Amino acid sequence: MRTIRKNFRLFWQGTLLSYRALFAWLRPVTYMASKIFMPLAQMFFFVFLGTYASGKDTSDFYVIGNAIQITSISGIFGVTMSVGGDRDAGTLPYLFGTPANRFMIFFGRAFMHVIDGAIGVVIALTWGVLLMGLDLSHTDLPALGLTILITTFSTCGLGLLMGCLSLLTANVMFVNNFVYFSLLIFSGANVQISTLPVWMQIVSSILPLTRGIAASRALAAGASLTDISVLLISEIGIGLTYGFLGYFLFSWFEIQAKRKGTLETV
Amino acid sequence: MNAIEINHLRRIFRAQIGVFNRSIKEVFAVDDISFEVQQGELFGLLGPNGAGKTTTVKMLTTLLIPSLGSARVGGFDVVKQANEVRKRIGFIFGGERGLYWRLSGDDNLRYFASLYGVDPEVSKKRIPYLMEMVGLKGRGNERVGGYSRGMKQRLHVARTLLHDPDILFLDEPTIGLDPVGAREFRNVILDLQSQKKTILLTTHYMFEADALSDRIAIINKGSVIALDTPSGLKKHVSDLSVVEVETFGASEIVIEKLRALPFVDALSVEDRDQKQMILIQTERGAEAVPDVISALEGQRVGRVIVREPTLEDAYVRLVGGGA
Repeated sequence: MRTIRKNFRLFWQGTLLSYRALFAWLRPVTYMASKIFMPLAQMFFFVFLGTYASGKDTSDFYVIGNAIQITSISGIFGVTMSVGGDRDAGTLPYLFGTPANRFMIFFGRAFMHVIDGAIGVVIALTWGVLLMGLDLSHTDLPALGLTILITTFSTCGLGLLMGCLSLLTANVMFVNNFVYFSLLIFSGANVQISTLPVWMQIVSSILPLTRGIAASRALAAGASLTDISVLLISEIGIGLTYGFLGYFLFSWFEIQAKRKGTLETV
Repeated sequence: MNAIEINHLRRIFRAQIGVFNRSIKEVFAVDDISFEVQQGELFGLLGPNGAGKTTTVKMLTTLLIPSLGSARVGGFDVVKQANEVRKRIGFIFGGERGLYWRLSGDDNLRYFASLYGVDPEVSKKRIPYLMEMVGLKGRGNERVGGYSRGMKQRLHVARTLLHDPDILFLDEPTIGLDPVGAREFRNVILDLQSQKKTILLTTHYMFEADALSDRIAIINKGSVIALDTPSGLKKHVSDLSVVEVETFGASEIVIEKLRALPFVDALSVEDRDQKQMILIQTERGAEAVPDVISALEGQRVGRVIVREPTLEDAYVRLVGGGA
């Protein structure tokens, strides 16, 4: 019981303090820009481009797709900064020199970004309702809230894996940008997945966000929570898979760094 | 029981050389060292850059796996029982890094307290106590990014004492501190020593090692070349005197000419702004001065002093400042 309490405390303290300690967008101006203006710019771009190209009023498709995809700003960039930030701060040796439960340290790094990412999606959807005519009057809003949380969680799972890469290479932001822009297509945010080549559909099916975006669109069209439950369960499964892959990579990194003496050299 | 036991410890680093014709170069950073540190002892580890001091500390703090040999800290094996070792030790590597600069001093301590599993009720009392002990009382709410280097070093000490460890590893803790900061830091170390903590201290500053250490090991090229009390080490040079000669712009040729004098046992040069201090160890003492001056003919010479050897002179002789 004492160990559980200790680990819960570690998770919670790690969640709050590591978010403040390692997340580089905490300055209000850059934070506001990333949370308010960047989603707006992305949505404007794809909504107007998409409706112009398709020649139909398909704005809801792009608004929902991009609003949900916005979560990957927190899920990928934010989580990567939180995991990799220890390397930049020089705190890795002190972190790995403690007897703390590595599982709690690792997953604690992502928790605040799930909340943060979900807030970003809500802001983006608000822009959609206010400026782009998104109609959520027939939407089960609690179910949409749950979908947003689950999708953000699964994207953070991918972020944890990317964060571990940042412990191995200094160039992870390049990879992050590649993943972020790939998700604009592969997640189905801006293209119907059924129109993609088969290999792209396969990639799409193993990425987070894909099912979350599909579930959100279904909810906006009037579907119930039961209708989308399979999509949500799959999305959770994908998030956990990436999260655990990241955790194993994190553990592997610690062992390798201690074997090779590379804890501070990357 | 010994607090630290090291048996034939080795650490080999393998570096890849070349792009097309790749070959592996092996570097013995630590090469078969053995020593023990008793409980409550302040043990100094001295050596030039690259001697293997930090590598040894990293192995003892479970941050690096030894290639060969074994080490026990607090009675536990550093590889097989690493987590037990971690619970019982605290460590500091010199420099400012290793703290979360965006957080306040108190929040840094709070986070590390949770990493060490310190009960919140205990840490609530312990954090202000430690902040006062290291001279940071009233500064705990400020962001660490705004702390001076000395304040960061002292916060590191507070961090390392959060879980009240019995054994401390201080790797060049005063590096980069101004003289006042370094003196304050040494007082903190003395305070820890009075609390019966076992301390392994690595430093470049001989007077620091001399003043603080119960025993000192001198390590060079990965091996322990001497291990004794500070006074015991000084006996290595008790037969010698040191002639200190202040010069201005003496060339390498002149230095080599001095080094070649038959009575010079060891010679080192310290650059001090415009001038150089040439330190000559010799059995001849004051009698060597006329020959030294004549070897420096044509050079601008300042003060010349003959004095008793210090720990630094013993160190220079042992690590090879030889003629």
